[in-house]
Amino acid sequence: MSNQTTFSQALLNPEQPCPDGLRSWNGSDPAQRFAIYRNNVTRSLIDALADTFPVVAELVGADFFNLLAHSYIQHSPPTSRLLVEYGETFADFIQGFAPAASVPYLADVARLEFARVRAYHSADITALTPVAIAEVIGQPEHLANMTFALHPSVQIVHSRFAHVSIWAAHQGTHDLAAVDSQCAETALILRNRLIVEVMAIQPADAAFISALQQGQPFAKAAELAMDVVAEFNLSPPLAHLINTAVIVGYAYPGASLGNNHV
Amino acid sequence: MTNKSTRAVSAASLALALGAAVAISTATVTTAHAADNEKCFGISMKGKNDCAAGAGTTCAGTAKTDLQGNAWKYVPAGTCEKTPSASSPTGFGQLQEYKEKA
Repeated sequence: MSNQTTFSQALLNPEQPCPDGLRSWNGSDPAQRFAIYRNNVTRSLIDALADTFPVVAELVGADFFNLLAHSYIQHSPPTSRLLVEYGETFADFIQGFAPAASVPYLADVARLEFARVRAYHSADITALTPVAIAEVIGQPEHLANMTFALHPSVQIVHSRFAHVSIWAAHQGTHDLAAVDSQCAETALILRNRLIVEVMAIQPADAAFISALQQGQPFAKAAELAMDVVAEFNLSPPLAHLINTAVIVGYAYPGASLGNNHV
Repeated sequence: MTNKSTRAVSAASLALALGAAVAISTATVTTAHAADNEKCFGISMKGKNDCAAGAGTTCAGTAKTDLQGNAWKYVPAGTCEKTPSASSPTGFGQLQEYKEKA
């Protein structure tokens, strides 16, 4: 084992002794100094998780969150130097974390919260202008096979629980006591220009938006949504995507517009 | 969701739907404003890129945040207890039976 491996493992696991070969400049006990450093590392990572997952932290209380986060840090230490990227697998960890089993929606709330952070930091891509969208309508012969590029902030998070309502209740927009946590919800998370938005959407809308996001042609996306709800009306979700400035490009066989067809 | 769809959507209906979407959207009003904003990192997401020299740093060298050990005895506290959870008939009792990891 390299010195670095020994050091980093000891840093995350309090059961491990202070690595050999450490010295302090003033003769104080290296084990004590190392414990302070370990404490700081752990605390900073727990705080980073609490910043990224504030509603999860509120749901379980500070003590439980500290334990949950500390277990996660030992299980999945950061792999990126960017703290904002830390916690990508936190929701999965929560799902398998036995002490949290009594809060079954906790993992999905975490998924929603991480999607918000991801949306916040996603790349800036300018939406299609109204003129460009008018041009789309002016080409009805291409519409069926047209694909749309959505902004990278657009994410859909399904849950068997009311994760959106629970999350929203923690933003002070409605009463937590009135939320039926057992009601399945689907979240649409996106960044509307500079503001991250979260809203609950219908399963058919989610099917439509997911299909567009995966590069399905316009007609196919509409059909997939109609498989969910036969009388699906695609205008409201489309209007929402236009309003929130997340349609960033389109393409059809032989042509494309928008420089970021992701 | 099935892969096979029995419904065919006509180009005309797509054009109508898109036209309606544009009509009910307010994109023409708001898009022009997007360029007026600028993104200012570091003010909204506090502390994310800092080393932990600020909040959360304990340099006293005490065991204040000594999280290991018997801490599994804690149970969730706070607002989750106010949220109805039909799937949790036993309340939070099971938390105390959780075996501590080595």
